Amino acid sequence: MRERSNIRGGLCSAALQLCAFLCASTANAQEWTTSLVDIHQGSALSDRARGLGNGGYELQSGSWVSFSRWYHASWVDMHVDLLTQITPDTGILWGFGTGEQAEKYRIEPSLKLGFLTQIHPNPNSTLSLSVASIIGGNLTEKPCEADYGDLGTYSVNCRLAAGETAPEETLKYLVNATPERLHLWLNYRVTF
Amino acid sequence: MSRNFRKFGIAAALVLLPASMASAQEVPDADETAVLCHGVQSICVSAKIPVARTTQAVQNWMSPDVGAAWAAGYKGKGVTITMVDDFSSSSRFSGNLGIGVQTQRHGEWTREEAGMIAPAATIRSKDFSTGSAVPLAAGRNVLNLSYGMYTTAGYGVDQIGWAPEEASIISYATRGSAVVSKAAGNDAVAVGGVTGGQQDYLDLALIGKSTAIFVGALSTNGTTTNKAQLAWYSDYAGSNALVQSHFLVVGVEGDKTGLYGTSFAAPIISGYAAIIGSKFTKATPVQITNDLLNTARTDTLANYDPSVYGKGEASLSRALAPVAIH
Repeated sequence: MRERSNIRGGLCSAALQLCAFLCASTANAQEWTTSLVDIHQGSALSDRARGLGNGGYELQSGSWVSFSRWYHASWVDMHVDLLTQITPDTGILWGFGTGEQAEKYRIEPSLKLGFLTQIHPNPNSTLSLSVASIIGGNLTEKPCEADYGDLGTYSVNCRLAAGETAPEETLKYLVNATPERLHLWLNYRVTF
Repeated sequence: MSRNFRKFGIAAALVLLPASMASAQEVPDADETAVLCHGVQSICVSAKIPVARTTQAVQNWMSPDVGAAWAAGYKGKGVTITMVDDFSSSSRFSGNLGIGVQTQRHGEWTREEAGMIAPAATIRSKDFSTGSAVPLAAGRNVLNLSYGMYTTAGYGVDQIGWAPEEASIISYATRGSAVVSKAAGNDAVAVGGVTGGQQDYLDLALIGKSTAIFVGALSTNGTTTNKAQLAWYSDYAGSNALVQSHFLVVGVEGDKTGLYGTSFAAPIISGYAAIIGSKFTKATPVQITNDLLNTARTDTLANYDPSVYGKGEASLSRALAPVAIH
């Protein structure tokens, strides 16, 4: 998952340059400030799911089955990342992903939670550290029902149904993937 | 080579007809790495065929269909193909299945070919000169018959005194206990037809049997843009509906291999059957046979006519594919 940080007020000015949609709001009486750090669609898992839609095969009748109809999502997983500033040098990173699904796969919605902190080794430099974890967001491929006529009907991996692998064996190759669970950034910045 | 081979078939039939005698013969110079069954008790000695096992490349004489179907898979695993053929005569001829020119016996060629189509299948060699019954292996079985049993035309099949070898094969085809891939013949007549005053009685005996497949040869592998024709020498299906419904054709590209004849068509179907059997591990030989027959293509053949091509050109990829998926 792509992530950028961070905030106004000197907390992490690099993130400011990257954030296209910066906004701020007063969160509570302690004047915690929450900023939109990043918003984007797509992820490594989205790309992987889309890749499953490449190819196809002929049925016994010769009619072509394209995988794209099974792996085309009308909505691409959207990620919103925010940062709530607690002190001038610390903040909480949080956000969520909407998930996405097509006929034969699903990416679950996800939550992001982490923190960001920084120190100033000298007046011209900043050392910042952020850690964020992702909860949910798993990619799960769904099986198909394949009718082989007299040879029976099987639950199969849709993409491997026409190959040489035994129908029941194809299920081993269903994609079950998780997003990168932990993100760690260490950044040192010198101004001159 | 096919003519020499056919002569052997004639000789065998002439011996068998009067007395149903079959004598055990040793295989004097057989490939030690093969699985050999010989003797009256059909003792089988198992070993591997190194050439077949190590050659898993799609060759230019194979149908493009084979390459398309060769995804990571089993390629015949769990299925035994028994080649009933000549593994003992002094007759050898040269050819090249894509791994260099070799000079081998007829059975050694057909065995190698089947092994290249279905590399993971267990290949057994049964020398047909023994006349002893063909034993089946545990699991799924395919029998390859790249030979015929010729004698004077005019007998009824029930008049033939079959040796245990052919009797067992006919029994398996009748009971549906093994897929039987039978070379149609190289006389350019209908299956079981008279040629030179003789008939292939093994063809006649297998007509109407549930797991028998007669295999004719196309001069090339067919595609929708380059349709194939029956090879000039190949027997065809003829007017008998029972033959038409169990007749398949495959490309035998002798211009690439130096090997011509329906002898080299039958091992392709044997290999296909093994691959189907390895995918559908619970399939019966009848189901495997019907799968091959029902998925044959007619759009890759020039002027398709069931009396020529039977069910059409075998298509491995379609035989492996679902009828429907959702």
